[in-house]
Amino acid sequence: MRKIYMILSSVLLILSGCNLRVLDPKSQTAKDQSFLVQFSFALMMIVFATVIVLFVWFVWKYRQTEENKHKIPEDEKGNRLFEITWTVLPIILLAVLAVPTIKITYEISASSSATPPNAVHIDVTAQQFSWTFEYQNGVVQTSELVLPKDRPVVFHLNSDDVIHSFWVPKLGGKKDVIPGKERRLILTPDEVGTYQGKCAEFCGKDHALMRFETIVKTQEDYKQWLQKMKQKIE
Amino acid sequence: MTFYLFDRSFYIASDVLLAYITVILSGAALFYLITKANKWPTIKKYVTTTHHRKIGVLYLLSATLFFIRAGIEALIIRIQLAVPENDWWVFQGDKFNEAFTTHGTIMIFFVAMPLLIGLMNVAVPLQIGARDMAFPYMNAVSFWLFLAGAILVNMSFFMTASPNAGWTAYAPLSVSTYTPEAGNDYYVFGLQVSGIGTILAAINMIVTIVRHRAPGMKLTRMPLFPWSTLITSFLILIAFPVLTIALYILMFDRMFGTQFFTGEAGSPIYWQHLFWIFGHPEVYIIILPAFGIFSDVISTFSKKRVFGYTSMVIALAIIGLLGFMVWVHHMFTVGLGPLVNTFFAITTMLIAVPTGIKIFNWLFTMRKGLIRFTTPMLFSLGFIPTFVVGGVTGVMLSVAAADMQYHDSYFVVAHFHYTMIGGTVLGAFAGIYYWFPKMFGIKLKDTLGKWHFWLFVIGFHITFFPMHLAGLNGMPRRVYTYLPKDDVFIYNFVSTIGAFLMGLGTLAFIWNIYQSFKKPDYTGNDPWDGRTLEWSVPSPAPEHPFQPMPLVKTIDPLWEAKRNRGGKLPEAESARSAPIDVTSWQPIGLAGMMMVFSLAFIYHQTWLQIIAGIGVLSFFVIRNLTDEHVRVTREEENE
Ligand code: HEM
Ligand SMILES: [Cu+2]
Ligand SMILES: [Cu+2]
Repeated sequence: MRKIYMILSSVLLILSGCNLRVLDPKSQTAKDQSFLVQFSFALMMIVFATVIVLFVWFVWKYRQTEENKHKIPEDEKGNRLFEITWTVLPIILLAVLAVPTIKITYEISASSSATPPNAVHIDVTAQQFSWTFEYQNGVVQTSELVLPKDRPVVFHLNSDDVIHSFWVPKLGGKKDVIPGKERRLILTPDEVGTYQGKCAEFCGKDHALMRFETIVKTQEDYKQWLQKMKQKIE
Repeated sequence: MTFYLFDRSFYIASDVLLAYITVILSGAALFYLITKANKWPTIKKYVTTTHHRKIGVLYLLSATLFFIRAGIEALIIRIQLAVPENDWWVFQGDKFNEAFTTHGTIMIFFVAMPLLIGLMNVAVPLQIGARDMAFPYMNAVSFWLFLAGAILVNMSFFMTASPNAGWTAYAPLSVSTYTPEAGNDYYVFGLQVSGIGTILAAINMIVTIVRHRAPGMKLTRMPLFPWSTLITSFLILIAFPVLTIALYILMFDRMFGTQFFTGEAGSPIYWQHLFWIFGHPEVYIIILPAFGIFSDVISTFSKKRVFGYTSMVIALAIIGLLGFMVWVHHMFTVGLGPLVNTFFAITTMLIAVPTGIKIFNWLFTMRKGLIRFTTPMLFSLGFIPTFVVGGVTGVMLSVAAADMQYHDSYFVVAHFHYTMIGGTVLGAFAGIYYWFPKMFGIKLKDTLGKWHFWLFVIGFHITFFPMHLAGLNGMPRRVYTYLPKDDVFIYNFVSTIGAFLMGLGTLAFIWNIYQSFKKPDYTGNDPWDGRTLEWSVPSPAPEHPFQPMPLVKTIDPLWEAKRNRGGKLPEAESARSAPIDVTSWQPIGLAGMMMVFSLAFIYHQTWLQIIAGIGVLSFFVIRNLTDEHVRVTREEENE
């Protein structure tokens, strides 16, 4: 009994999706995205449930049995009313989904084109198969990205070779890093912690290893850290 | 693996070596068995045939072979990913990348496509009362070109130069600066050659359906599989030339030093646009025919005509149209701006509407019907909930801002396998079980069919459901390893177990085919109590199936005849002129020459390019001189 309970609870844990990085956001952008994930999921569950209920009901009720084997079902061409129903209702459902989609897509893009006044700028360079982060004061870091809490960070994304994609699931994203043209991404982390960062666009042999660590510090700690690194290079 | 011969050392990767041994041994065994059973004449008949049913069988047979190959690659991928930081055999780094690249490429182009085109060849002419395809010779050319392309992509592995830039071959990774090996040249030429075959097949289908329907079969009386074939063929006709152009440009960038996709003036984004302008319609190309199969199968085994026939046809057409207006949903993370992104988000969402209409129409076809759980019907029933999962995740993916999280993660891998296996592959299995009697005059075994179905479908969900969660937990696709701290081990492990169940299911299918030929259950014309014309002709379908030519008066002529006319179809007074059957070695010769031509390019042998090029052109001349129409006219004059 205990065992079954344990298995069940771990299955529930898997299914409930708690702790899944995308659904455990640490920035406003990621929060908006996580909201969209859950909102669209909820809407879609209405569709899914409807189909499953009808499916099970019809398949069960109208299965062939020994008694009705020789019956010939009545001819039926269709039903205008039904057909209009399942055309119109989905359109309404999608309209409901489209509103936040448009709103949030615009917000995320808009925040990437304007530059907030107190922003931190970081030059991100992707190359096969590592990430380099250059801070405004000249500090250069490889595979480790340190960010301040509660300040917008403007990432200037450039690639030295092929296409890569910059992704920190808990902070939101992702943005392709394409050779030849700088792209920008703005994120504002709002919780201290260490988060995984990954290359999300297949870029060759060791794409799987092209990761980085993102460390979000309080603004105090961040300043100290920057200074310390600066001294190191001088 | 290194070995020594004549004082020299040779290196061959152990996986390639094993593949060579396997292929050579099974080739030898096959040769022996064919010779022993004295089957060479049958093989010759198939190789030189231009008959639609035989060509259909050839398509299905090659698709099954390639399904096994790409399936083995799927298992290799799953084994390497079963546990974190795995170091299994040679499948890390490039070897792994090659495995998923050829897995994806082969599954899409050399499994999904030929399964469906094969079924079209077998069923469509019979369903519309045609004697054969409109252009039988061209039909054979289509098949052999397809096979030549498929062999090119498949042989790359044996030449230790597999394509390795993903099935999407994104530039600049796919240009020669970053992948100088021959691998991606095989990709370019393989798809190019088979693409010509596909375009020809589409033209053939369109003309057949437009010109060769039985008297009285108006378009509004045509069964839904031919309808979906017609619409799919138009999609192919528009989408495949885009791929042709994209591959052509990529070839120039790789071989002749142009810079369309790199450098100052060029841009890698061009490739993405071209690829997806082809690529998104392509996914509808491989799903719409499956929709057609499901419509026919569900209607037959519910003993009812399909619910809402007109809206079914309109939905197919709208899906086809919208399919050309959504390609940017594969590029939401490129940064094309909010206007573009939201526009394509909305068009993508819109596709859900006609798809939903189809789902509900299928459900209501079963309502008040009489459902028989035969194997083809089981696959169709398995399709509905599975495909709906793929559909709802599709709508979730269309939400542009959210897609920036899903994009290129395992969530996407889960989504497209739910649609492509849940739709295309289940549809193809349904079609194969359903029309097998028309191909060979025997039924596949029902019990083994059920084993196949349950193992495959349960295995499928175990494999792919957890991938949604792995993706949401931040696992990118196309990675050969992950770390324990990524917390995706459990999903991957479960997934690997599921993949082996699917493998067992596939074995049950192959065993079923073997058993069904060994202890054949011969069937009559109409084993399923069918509704459409193909069930009025003998099984297997003869060379001249419709004599006398039936006159069609309803959507399900055979059903109506069985109810009201004691099973006899009304006869038409005049028949349409029939295409001329020939047997010819030319199609396979042409395709073989195209293969040599491609290899000459892949390995930069200018002299061979010239010779093979002349060879290819001379087939055009030969064909012009041996046109069977001339012969037939002359024979008629002499009579
Ligand atoms: C039979 C069982 C199958 C299994 C277990 C399987 C498994 C997988 C896995 C794990 C991947 C992800 C590889 C990666 O991202 O590293 C993958 C990719 C893919 N699969 Fe499958 N697959 C199967 C069947 C199919 C079928 C039937 C199709 C199409 C008709 C298909 C089409 C693809 C495509 C297009 C990709 C993407 C390849 C790429 O990223 O370039 N697969 N498959
Ligand atoms: Cu990468
Ligand atoms: Cu698409």
